[in-house]
Amino acid sequence: MSVGRLEALPPGGEGLEFLDLGGEIAARSPLQLFWMRFRQDRLALASFAFIVLLIVVAVAAPLVVEVLGLPGPNVQNLNLTDSFGSPLGPSLAHPFGVDQLGQDVMSRVIYGARVSLEVAIIGTGMASVIGVVIGMLAGFYPGWVDTLLSRTIDAFLSIPILLLGLGIGAACAVKGCVGGTIQPGLGVIIFLIAIATWPYMARLVRGLVLSLREHEFVDASRALGASDMRIMFREILPNLTAPIIVYASLQIPFNILFEATLSYLGVGIRPPTASWGQMIASATPIFNTAWWYMTFPGLALLFTVLAFNLLGDGLRDALSPRAA
Amino acid sequence: MTSIRIVAAISLASALALALAGCGSSSSSPSVGSGTSVVSTGGFQSPLTQSLTAGKRGGTLVVLNETEFEHLDPGIAYYNIDYEVVDVTQRALYSYKPNTTTEATPDMASGPPEIAADNRTITIHIREGIHFSPPVDREVTSEDVAYAIERGANPDVANAYFHSYFDSVEGGPKAEGGPIKGIQTPNKHTIVFHLTEPKAQIVADALVLPLSAAVPKEYAEKFDKNKPSNYADYQVATGPYMLKNNSEGKVLGVGYIPGKSATLVRNPNWNPKTDFRPAYLNEILIKIGGTTTVIGRQVLEGTDMVQNEAPNQASVRLAAEKFKSQLEISPGAGTHYIAVNNKVGPFSNIDLRKALWAALDRAAMDKARGGELVTNVMTHFLYPTIPGFEQAGGLAGPKVDYNEHPEGDMAIAEKYIRLAGYAKGKYSGGQTLEVVGSRSSPAEQDAEVVNQTLKNLGFTTKFTLVEPSTMYSKYCGVPKEEIDVCPSVGWIADFADPQTVLNITFNGKFINPVESNNWGQVDDPTINAAMTAAESVTGTSARATAWAKIDDELVADAAAIPFDWDKQANIEGSGVDGVGDLWDSGEWDYDYSSLK
Repeated sequence: MSVGRLEALPPGGEGLEFLDLGGEIAARSPLQLFWMRFRQDRLALASFAFIVLLIVVAVAAPLVVEVLGLPGPNVQNLNLTDSFGSPLGPSLAHPFGVDQLGQDVMSRVIYGARVSLEVAIIGTGMASVIGVVIGMLAGFYPGWVDTLLSRTIDAFLSIPILLLGLGIGAACAVKGCVGGTIQPGLGVIIFLIAIATWPYMARLVRGLVLSLREHEFVDASRALGASDMRIMFREILPNLTAPIIVYASLQIPFNILFEATLSYLGVGIRPPTASWGQMIASATPIFNTAWWYMTFPGLALLFTVLAFNLLGDGLRDALSPRAA
Repeated sequence: MTSIRIVAAISLASALALALAGCGSSSSSPSVGSGTSVVSTGGFQSPLTQSLTAGKRGGTLVVLNETEFEHLDPGIAYYNIDYEVVDVTQRALYSYKPNTTTEATPDMASGPPEIAADNRTITIHIREGIHFSPPVDREVTSEDVAYAIERGANPDVANAYFHSYFDSVEGGPKAEGGPIKGIQTPNKHTIVFHLTEPKAQIVADALVLPLSAAVPKEYAEKFDKNKPSNYADYQVATGPYMLKNNSEGKVLGVGYIPGKSATLVRNPNWNPKTDFRPAYLNEILIKIGGTTTVIGRQVLEGTDMVQNEAPNQASVRLAAEKFKSQLEISPGAGTHYIAVNNKVGPFSNIDLRKALWAALDRAAMDKARGGELVTNVMTHFLYPTIPGFEQAGGLAGPKVDYNEHPEGDMAIAEKYIRLAGYAKGKYSGGQTLEVVGSRSSPAEQDAEVVNQTLKNLGFTTKFTLVEPSTMYSKYCGVPKEEIDVCPSVGWIADFADPQTVLNITFNGKFINPVESNNWGQVDDPTINAAMTAAESVTGTSARATAWAKIDDELVADAAAIPFDWDKQANIEGSGVDGVGDLWDSGEWDYDYSSLK
């Protein structure tokens, strides 16, 4: 929605008296403008609320499980399986049912959120930092620096990341690789996400910096004697905030799915740590007799990815200059 | 010696009580195997109760196979999925009827083996009138049997068990595929084995394995020169059925399309007068692919089809609840136990091994594998159908306190941890245990129960699940990896002799640098010596007694932690009168199965 030119003016600016605003119109900050647009996107708002709730539940998982009266995620109770070893379905005591070991599925779904969010936030954060730094350097220094970094970006983009993940998971499974430095698990997944996704962020930032570095405010800073680092990180970077936030928010669901995929394939999170992907994999052979075991972690994954996608769309719409 | 197979793979079974039988109908009541009668099959059909002579002739049976065959060459085949084909296309010297594990019937042989008094010479006469399938067509001779066994040592054939059972044949240890000095064919219907050690019985017993199925040298030799041999692609048959082939004998792409199908048709040169198999079916069409859950439902709701492999828990439950007449339960389908490292690490301490045994909820683990219908709580190492099972304690097992409570007893476990030197009754040695399990259901559930039990005992673990084959080939079967705990390893005997259950898996001389099947690196000099002595014992009863004593010693040593004697479920469509092989984990036998 358009907010009008006047709204974009700074409040109380000197030399603007000739406009005679009559004291009725107050200019809005960029944050206010963003919020005004964002709050009108109900889906994005609902997604935001869901994600906040998810974060709270993940952080306070032990407390939540206790309050709900559920057993811990790794508490095995084979008495909760029938005579064929099949898990029992949802009940008051176990709202999402139990798995083959009698472990409470709801409890594991709650703890599984921790893994998904850790991967999503840390992995995306690392990728964003690397991508922004490399992208800014490539965009700001045309010539051999740009060439070198751009080719590096191309090289990283050519890595088949899923196969790399499977390879590391298989080859380093027990003893680890590189003298035990690389051990499959959460750390490796986050690392893989970082090296797989930073090039996309870097390419985006490089393109924007190539354009911004030609603007007058950069020339002005340079004329005032600002160093390259200051120009890049104090002058240009603030102008990149919106696209970085939008891109990162859209990258998060991809990363959640990536973790779930690796765990589903058995090379992600190690059991008994609960992970949605791993739970879905374990549920596959018994889906026709224990629908709940696949359904609830599946729904958790679906809603989480959907929420991040809708939030990303909402952020893009609210932050995009084209919306103004 | 090379390794024997692992449970994920399969089984042939049983020892010979070869003082009997020629071909003919199965009207007698064969000895079915030690302890078989005390194992409940839940009232469902089982290989023990099925009729072998009531089938209807004709029709095409559809067999649904989730996985691909490993090898269809009789000299290489070692997995039960392969045996199901080899068993109907090839005739070994001896073979089992479906409802026995202890009475081998002369098959290619015309009578029982003649074992010399010194236990070093075996003479076998070959049945006359058996012909190879097209394009070879000629009559089978003793030289074809000799070549079949000799090629097992050919590195390009690389039979998995040749050196385990035929190294006592003169020239066997150094054989590489050429003539073996200790295998003689004085005439075209007689073969003689000369041994360097008095081990005639175990060699004779091993002749139920498909390695002894005749192979025509003049036809197969050119294929065996390839690296690896591709005789399987051009194989000929001696059994009632053959893989469909073209006029040149080519099977590959005709009767066997890898990853897709195998088609078994009648062998035109098979003479039923020379065989005891009824061979009711006209054709067997094996479809490869799909997933076990879907296959299970297809079979149970279908008519003229069976599932080749063991169905998963969900299908067994469905069958038991809604398709009762289509479910078969077979006892004596092998064992599962925890291999703990006897050589290095915390479990080199016998008291810590006993503590784990005492603490483990074996009943829970068996429940995770499908419950009482398909498991019995394992209390020692010889399993039902294997001679010596009853002498070693039967179902209840030896009376030692750490074996008394299948549900686990932490008080007894803590007693042994204190005996190990940890005064508080919890392990506090500080060493992190390397636990490597199999990423397949239900083995991964077993592994998680074991991991939790270890934590309850105070251990810190590094727990990893890998592909089943990787677990064996890269970790548990490689001593230098020093894996502390392999939570679910399994074993099925090659045939029902107790030596085939205990020797390879617990004898120190079989700790190999790679592909070791002595996963726990058990190397007790006393037990090793007892096994060496027992290898030469003759007579089924005497061997059972000797090996049962060794079983007792293994329990006293807590050499491994047993938890499951398997019973295998198999399912069939409503239009199938399936017959399962007791000696092969109850797998369907297409020589005896028929359509209603």
